[in-house]
Amino acid sequence: MIKLKTTGLTRRFLGLVAVNNVSFSMEEGEILGIIGPNGAGKTTFINLVSGIIMPSEGKIEYKGQDITWMPAHQRARIGIARTYQLIHPLENLTLIENVMVGSIFARGHSVREARRRAEAICRELGLTRLERDTSRLTILEIKKMEIARALANEPEVLFLDEVMAGLNSDETKELIAMVQKIAKERNLAVGVVEHVMGVIKELTHRVIVLEAGELIAEGRYEEVSKNPRVIEAYLGGGAA
Amino acid sequence: MNRTLIRILLAGIAVLAIVFPLFAGDYPLQVARNIMLYMALAISWDMLLRSGQISFGIAGLFGIGAYAAILGVVRAGMPAWLSIPFGAAFAALVALAIGFVILRLRAMYFSIVTLALGEIFRIIVHNLHDFTGGPEGVVMSQGVIFGGNSSALYWLVLGGLAVAIAASTWFEKSRIHFALTAIRNNEISAKSSGVDIFRWLLLAFVVTSAIQGMLGGIFVMSYGFAAPDVVFSADFTLLPLAMALLGGIYSTQGPIFGAILLGLVAEWLKLKIPYGHLVVYGIMIIIVILFIPQGIKSLVKKTLGRESTAPEGGHA
Amino acid sequence: MTVKQRKAIVPAASAVAVVVLLLWKPTVLIYGLQAAGLYAAVAIPMGLVLGIVHIVNLSHGEFMMLASYATYTLCKALGMDPLLALIPMALITALFGWIVFQFTIRRALKAPELNQLILTFGLAIAFSQIINLIFTSQTYKLALDYSSMSLDVGDLSFGVWSFVFVAVAILYAVGLQLFLKRTRTGKAALAVGQNPNGAAIVGIDVYRTYGLVFALAVGLVGLMGALFLTKSAIFPSVGSPFTMKSFSLVAMAGIGNIPGILWGSVLLGLAENFLRSFRSTRDWAEIVYFVLIIAVILSRSLKGKKS
Repeated sequence: MIKLKTTGLTRRFLGLVAVNNVSFSMEEGEILGIIGPNGAGKTTFINLVSGIIMPSEGKIEYKGQDITWMPAHQRARIGIARTYQLIHPLENLTLIENVMVGSIFARGHSVREARRRAEAICRELGLTRLERDTSRLTILEIKKMEIARALANEPEVLFLDEVMAGLNSDETKELIAMVQKIAKERNLAVGVVEHVMGVIKELTHRVIVLEAGELIAEGRYEEVSKNPRVIEAYLGGGAA
Repeated sequence: MNRTLIRILLAGIAVLAIVFPLFAGDYPLQVARNIMLYMALAISWDMLLRSGQISFGIAGLFGIGAYAAILGVVRAGMPAWLSIPFGAAFAALVALAIGFVILRLRAMYFSIVTLALGEIFRIIVHNLHDFTGGPEGVVMSQGVIFGGNSSALYWLVLGGLAVAIAASTWFEKSRIHFALTAIRNNEISAKSSGVDIFRWLLLAFVVTSAIQGMLGGIFVMSYGFAAPDVVFSADFTLLPLAMALLGGIYSTQGPIFGAILLGLVAEWLKLKIPYGHLVVYGIMIIIVILFIPQGIKSLVKKTLGRESTAPEGGHA
Repeated sequence: MTVKQRKAIVPAASAVAVVVLLLWKPTVLIYGLQAAGLYAAVAIPMGLVLGIVHIVNLSHGEFMMLASYATYTLCKALGMDPLLALIPMALITALFGWIVFQFTIRRALKAPELNQLILTFGLAIAFSQIINLIFTSQTYKLALDYSSMSLDVGDLSFGVWSFVFVAVAILYAVGLQLFLKRTRTGKAALAVGQNPNGAAIVGIDVYRTYGLVFALAVGLVGLMGALFLTKSAIFPSVGSPFTMKSFSLVAMAGIGNIPGILWGSVLLGLAENFLRSFRSTRDWAEIVYFVLIIAVILSRSLKGKKS
């Protein structure tokens, strides 16, 4: 069942076209890789579907509903969640409180219920000592907290924006397994932006490739990685 | 510190505060009333600050509540006690209208517009002189509320302070705390977690303005008189701000502590320096914001061995 | 509406207003333009600081007020004319501004924006209250012959001295554009304003630039303070309306838009004087800037909904 669909999604900033006529869809239960060279528009694309910025043209549909102009906080409530590349935890809230926010406001739970659910999510991700100040966390814990934060929305569609960046290979393996488990158990449609191709290869069912804002290839990783246009994008003029 | 011990201490202080008029003379009661008024204003300012919005317009909302109250009595024959919640409601409505327009753009724009509020309202009141009594002000011919009884006036302000403290505690213990803190720390992250930023900011602005309007009503009822220069005085913005900053922002106790400290200093200064004693507050704000932005509360926490950046409500 | 059309609104509206007033109420036009000059000359430096150092200086008007008082004291003590003090005052205020910057604002630049607002608010209070302490709230004025000079045209008689403000405003506008676009320091300042990290990488001393720009802006305002004294009475809180009006103008024009500040100040000056020319609306003139800033915010937030 198609959870998220965009048609001709375009976003211009003054003279620059950051996202150019992108049409794609995500299915329930699939993990989709979103790859492309630096500056290809991957994060802008996620910002568009999550509602942080509005498109210049095009349409976004979620479970059949037109959400093109829906504000970000409402999208969070209907089941779209995302993590951020540059993570700035809410510094005046503890780890658990950071996670609780989505549960309270995206799901409407009471503070007590939100705490219960947030604790469960943290347990699932292997986060402990939940009353800690966020300045005391390791990088892996911060990443996990960011994922937990998004999961607190109890989403049906989840975007992970370069969540593996900065982790060593053991930590990456742990997180890959975790993402797979979470996606399977909750039957999520997951979009994963990553630069490390090993992660994409192992984690995703299908991949889309963006270059200069355009969707230039789509398919399984094995096919896409052999696509000459994709290769050129990475090796040729695509490196920002 | 032991929770029960703190509760007992607080209860003791509350009892002391209530019985204070029974053994204090008129002058100490007057000083206490002033301190409590500013304390409540400081708390209300802090409540909005927790959302990341600085209001420089306390005097504006305070004054508009004051005028609503006194005009309610003088022009509409309202009983004095009713005029106070009326002042609160009026200020809340004004805040709703203003907030609706300016809270869509934030931080800098909001703060600067509030800076103009006191002066703008003062001019409006000044100009509508047939209705408001103009620059000379308006006097309540029926006299001051409670016949000017010192103890009653004290308890009136204490009541207003209690409302402010209750509201602030509510803001701290409920989901409002999560909303405002999330907005203050990272609006984008907050949005992604479902927080309707505009709605929560509007709520915070309206509630805190209602408190400020209520206090304005209490103020004019206590004196039976209002004039534009008096109720829209910048003192009502400056002192609460300095008090909350000094005591420690983002909390209920910080403004309380700052108000006691600065309130006593203010009384003393008023006697010593007739003109420009407010310079102390200006300098104090500068020093605090540069060197101890988290206020004295953070210094106390540091010496007690806790980090000053620890979030409220977390365990040691 | 295209961007070009939108940008033309304020100049077009001003042009229409000018023509109407010329025919109907010429004194409004004259005094309105003079006021516009004053407002623009004070607002342009605030725009400079906002555009390059990225702070809103809530004590902007107070620097002008301090310069006015300093000029007054100097002129009374030495028996000199304030016009002689224009350049010295600009330099002294610039130096003072630089010192204030180094000791206070510089420290707050890395802190959240809110801290900076509170800081400059504190400075504004400190400055106006120190003057209150020393001089009390009494007003002071210099009696000068030339400031009341007037011109008679037909049966119209009006004061012309205040046109100096217009001259200074134009001087500031042109001078700053030249400085920023043609001189090395100016171009460095522009670079810092647009991208402080990038500027640092190419070797520009960002904090030194901030200090210089702040001092320059304060110096320009200081000169206006001295000039202001020739025409108006001064008192401790004389500066604060200028802070607010400058901000309204800068917000209306947008960062970096000096011509926009000129047009906006014409609008403000004309509107205020227009209201003053009728008995019934006279007292409402001081609200105009507030209405303007609300209008700006409304139009920005309506536009913002689509982006």
